[in-house]
Amino acid sequence: MRKVYHGLALLLFASILQAADLVPLGQLPKGKTFLVILAHHDDHTWEWGLGGFAARLADAGWTGYYVRTTNDEKDGNEWGPNDLVNLREAQDAVRHLGMKEVISLNWRNDHMSSAPLKEVRAQYILLIRKYRPDVVMSWDPWGHYDRNPDHKRVARAVGEAVWMAGLANVHPEHLAAGLEPFRVPQVYYTQREDYGKGHTPNIAMEFNQAELDRKTDAFWSHKNVRGTPASPEARRLSMETPSREAGKRAGVAFAELFYAIGEWDDLPGLKEYLQTNARPK
Amino acid sequence: MMIALLLLFASLASAKTVLVVTADASDFILAAGGSISAMTAGGDRAILVRVTNDDKDSWRLPPEETASRTKAEVEQAAKILGISEVHSLGYRADELGGVSPTEIRDRILFYIRLFKPDVLFIPNPYTEYDEVLDRFYTGLAAEEARQAAALPNFQLAFAKTGLEPHVTRELYYYAQPFDPRRREAESTATFTPQPKVVGIGSTIDRKLRAAQALKTINFSMAMRIRQRLEDTGRKLPLLETVDDAAVNKLVEINVRKLAEIAAKGSPYKQAEEFMYAGPEFQVPQKLR
Repeated sequence: MRKVYHGLALLLFASILQAADLVPLGQLPKGKTFLVILAHHDDHTWEWGLGGFAARLADAGWTGYYVRTTNDEKDGNEWGPNDLVNLREAQDAVRHLGMKEVISLNWRNDHMSSAPLKEVRAQYILLIRKYRPDVVMSWDPWGHYDRNPDHKRVARAVGEAVWMAGLANVHPEHLAAGLEPFRVPQVYYTQREDYGKGHTPNIAMEFNQAELDRKTDAFWSHKNVRGTPASPEARRLSMETPSREAGKRAGVAFAELFYAIGEWDDLPGLKEYLQTNARPK
Repeated sequence: MMIALLLLFASLASAKTVLVVTADASDFILAAGGSISAMTAGGDRAILVRVTNDDKDSWRLPPEETASRTKAEVEQAAKILGISEVHSLGYRADELGGVSPTEIRDRILFYIRLFKPDVLFIPNPYTEYDEVLDRFYTGLAAEEARQAAALPNFQLAFAKTGLEPHVTRELYYYAQPFDPRRREAESTATFTPQPKVVGIGSTIDRKLRAAQALKTINFSMAMRIRQRLEDTGRKLPLLETVDDAAVNKLVEINVRKLAEIAAKGSPYKQAEEFMYAGPEFQVPQKLR
């Protein structure tokens, strides 16, 4: 009997430990429009991020836009055709996810280190003011050891654009086109965790089997770089395995993990007060 | 009388020079204003080097007027904290990413050699999830300036004008609490900065008055909060009328809460938190 008690106590201790390690499960955010701003044609469909959450938002009635920053000229078989083939496959992927459109900015692939940050940022600010997204998703600007120069540059530019779009004195010329200042209220950053300790997720976003299937379809839309899966099983597991692993971290079947910047995280001294005292009009 | 004079001489002899580097007008006040104020109240001399002109941070004022008003207001705020001089480098706010890092470094280095500070306050460039990159660029430049200011082969022309190499013995990295891992010690090596919490119970009121002096920035913050709430169908009773009283109240809530967050887990009720490298934190000779 004593052994049973010990066993139960150990089990309880283990489950407490496991619960303490869980990444908090996020609720579906409030809003209707989201922008995914990344560097390449296939960044929004990779194993660890975005596709499942994007599909869930689309299912909930949100309108999503994918901002592809580079022209992807080097990704695939041949320089010339790569540009067009990768764009078309990105458009296919976006359709699978239920998003509306790919907005291609056409910066030179793998040359973003020398792209002027302010010019890239200015284009994002314009799009944020145009679409007024409730959510923006991108690479984590504070992630470590991502060796891709385009990812790093895009992340930095997005990290500034999401809040600077709210300042009227930043690109005041936009006002002449009717584009009012707008600060993005919620930002979700993704990154491989095994790149280093820079990116530590603080939220998990769950999605269902149908959304996982669409994430899988979106991933394999990129035939120019990913070819064809070895078997239907390999195709299924390619997205199911990482989604399940992330789901385990939050105690659900399938999920993707993010570092989320919440609505008032830019004002740490006022966050609690605003959350407590803001009320419906 | 004699004792009083002796005490005065003693305090003058031990008085330090404190150089504060800030990116934007409010940064040093919100993250370090109480500690700086305590130093000046104790007889130390403090000087502020402000890197940007804050020309973006207003509500419906053109950049030129924003910059002009904020300059006067930050000088007033600095005075409240006991800072005797303000030197503005005048870079356009939120555009430091396009400025040569070496240029910013060398301009800060100039002031380090000119004033020969004992203590340096700089924005912490290693803090994560602080979205204002002006603080990142300024912090990196200032950290490098402190190092370069001590080395004779940097800025040879300066030496010709009497600006000799100078070692700043104490370094405070400051930041608002954006980084969820900011309390983690970076390393146990003796030459690595360590977390330091400074109680500001005796100076928080001065810090608050300094923060409230930044009227243009504060009004902008209040209006932008109101706008963000309106965009999502909400309101804040405090900001139904955005006047001086409402803005000052908002600033007070902010300053007191920041002090409470920094004090968490410390013996203080109100504090500021830093990464600190003091005179004892030197790179060992064998590693130089």
